[in-house]
Amino acid sequence: MTDAELIEKLKVDLGDKVAEIAHPAPRRLFLKVAPRDLVAVTTSLRDAYGFVFLSTISGVDNGEAFEIVYHFSTPETDLNLRTEIPKAVPHVDSITPVIPGAILYERELQDMFGLVIDGIPDPRPLVLPDDWPAGNYPLRKDWKFERPQEVIPGGKS
Amino acid sequence: MLNKLARWSRIKSPWILHLNSGACNACDIEIVAALTPRFDVERFGILLKATPRHADVIIASGPVTRQMRDRIIRIYDQVPDPKFVIAVGACAMSGCVYRGAYNIMGGIDQVIPVNMYVPGCPARPDAIVDGVVKLLGKL
Amino acid sequence: MSFEIPIGPQHPALKEPISLRMTVEGEVITDVDIRLGYNHRGMEKLAEEKSWLQNIYLVERICGICSHSHATCYVQGVEKLMELAPPKRGMFIRYLVSELERVHSHLLWLGVAGHEAGFDSFFMYTWRDREVVMDLLEMISGNRVHYAINTIGGVRRDLDAGQIAKIREGLVVLRKRSEYYFHIGANEPSFVGRIAGVGILPLEKVIALCAVGPTARASGWARDVRKEDPYAVYDEVDFDVATADSCDVLGRVVVRVKELLESYKICEQFLDKLPPGDIAVKAPRKAKPGEVVSRYEAPRGENIHYIKANGTDKPERLKVRAPTLANYPATMEMLRKGFIADIPLIFAAIDPCICCAERTVTLIAAGSGEESVVRMSDLRRRAIARHQNAPVKRNAVWPL
Repeated sequence: MTDAELIEKLKVDLGDKVAEIAHPAPRRLFLKVAPRDLVAVTTSLRDAYGFVFLSTISGVDNGEAFEIVYHFSTPETDLNLRTEIPKAVPHVDSITPVIPGAILYERELQDMFGLVIDGIPDPRPLVLPDDWPAGNYPLRKDWKFERPQEVIPGGKS
Repeated sequence: MLNKLARWSRIKSPWILHLNSGACNACDIEIVAALTPRFDVERFGILLKATPRHADVIIASGPVTRQMRDRIIRIYDQVPDPKFVIAVGACAMSGCVYRGAYNIMGGIDQVIPVNMYVPGCPARPDAIVDGVVKLLGKL
Repeated sequence: MSFEIPIGPQHPALKEPISLRMTVEGEVITDVDIRLGYNHRGMEKLAEEKSWLQNIYLVERICGICSHSHATCYVQGVEKLMELAPPKRGMFIRYLVSELERVHSHLLWLGVAGHEAGFDSFFMYTWRDREVVMDLLEMISGNRVHYAINTIGGVRRDLDAGQIAKIREGLVVLRKRSEYYFHIGANEPSFVGRIAGVGILPLEKVIALCAVGPTARASGWARDVRKEDPYAVYDEVDFDVATADSCDVLGRVVVRVKELLESYKICEQFLDKLPPGDIAVKAPRKAKPGEVVSRYEAPRGENIHYIKANGTDKPERLKVRAPTLANYPATMEMLRKGFIADIPLIFAAIDPCICCAERTVTLIAAGSGEESVVRMSDLRRRAIARHQNAPVKRNAVWPL
């Protein structure tokens, strides 16, 4: 199935769940859905279209909202599924019931952005250190870091 | 008399502990490559040891990440006196490209005292061997 | 009676800090837990403050063994954002270095696998061969590791006829030595017996847990980014995707040896087809707003970079997912039901590039919750001793 045929089929099958669909380059599709349809769309992508392989989940802080992009691929094409959640209520459903391999990526999103992923089987932090002060989410745009002054042994600071 | 013997054995055959504190692995491969037939540090009597309690020299690489900081101090304390620390690579000296990142403290000398710095990104195995030999010359 | 054993953040021979906590009943592992974070350097945040060109050097240092793969994946993406078309000669040189890096990485790994199985002479042989590749890479780029040969729009250094001749000679030497490893199964039945049947990962688990690279291809999962998403020049060369069917550490060794031989084939084809011309085009300082997904087949699996630009000279967002992170859920699955003695081998079999992802090992006693610290080297020594006394599995088959 070529990319164009796949786009048509997705539009027909998913109907109004698809908020927008873009095809900027060969083998690169970008599909946007609402957060409430996320698990349903992921399930139908896995079962009907064979998108079982999830490469990673990226989070982006674009000022007003958090954008979460799920990168799927098959030997024929790559599909990037995007959803947007408001900063005030940063909740999104976990897709681990559909794709068990997503667990580490979702934990990383929780650490870095402070999102709350509902239904995640293991909510512990993944990459931040044990003594990291709570409430600090490094990848948010408004989080700034002041580097403490280093002490150079035996020299002028 | 016993002191002279101990000092002689320390210079002739220092045992090293390899400590990686959040590095990209390049300096570590070069440290391990120093053991391989081409550079062969074992002919100097240098042995790579697994435990801090047997080591004389700590070879540290990598910028210090926040999570590793306490572990490094603990390992340093476990090494019996007299001990020496060699900071290998630009990351261990000052943090290299990661300076300014929120999880990085800087070079190894922000956490434990360092006796010798070996520059490079990564430091060549020859440079590492040279560094160890120069340190021994100072003893 | 179960024990919890932590293997501290630091152990000898090449590994970096990572923490795995394992619950064990006697010798069998019943549960595994991973604690990452020792190697977390906050690179994605740092990348937002550096320009496109400075980021090449930052991204390169995500990992020392696969540094060129991260740099190339990043540069590929940025070139798409800036709508640049690097010249053919530059692309050929860039991917020639990629394949040489794959060779050096697989030889490194074969040595580490040998060391974990107690076969230290194998470790010394493969690392000696690796020096041939390191010399070639140093000749091409000036450094043994962190080649920095990429720039946005092409490569920085050209190859002349003398260097090309030396590369060909080096490939001949390497191919002869690698053929020896190819036949090692026939010569070393104890090595093969040691690694067969260890770390089983069936194909359904590979698919469910999204594993990548030789770890997954050893279970018959035949996907390789070079074949399906042929970036740049891979559709002009002829090669096969290496797979194996045994789903265990033996399969992973077989896949990597096959990939070594395929890489030599690809390198020779690159050298034969190298066109004359420029090596780079000039890149603009700013990138137009947009987003790009760039995928690359690193020696350990699929490397994916997601880059977003907002019209300035710095990236808006750089997301990197290195292959080892994708293999962690699969590793945890492989370690469950395994023996403690096999931990170093199973863990080494995924070719962990912790700096790409991060690590250490803790074993936990399931019943009492007691913790005891065991060093990876002690585990390795225990494993070697245990297998020395066990009968050799003489019916393990080396499929090459």
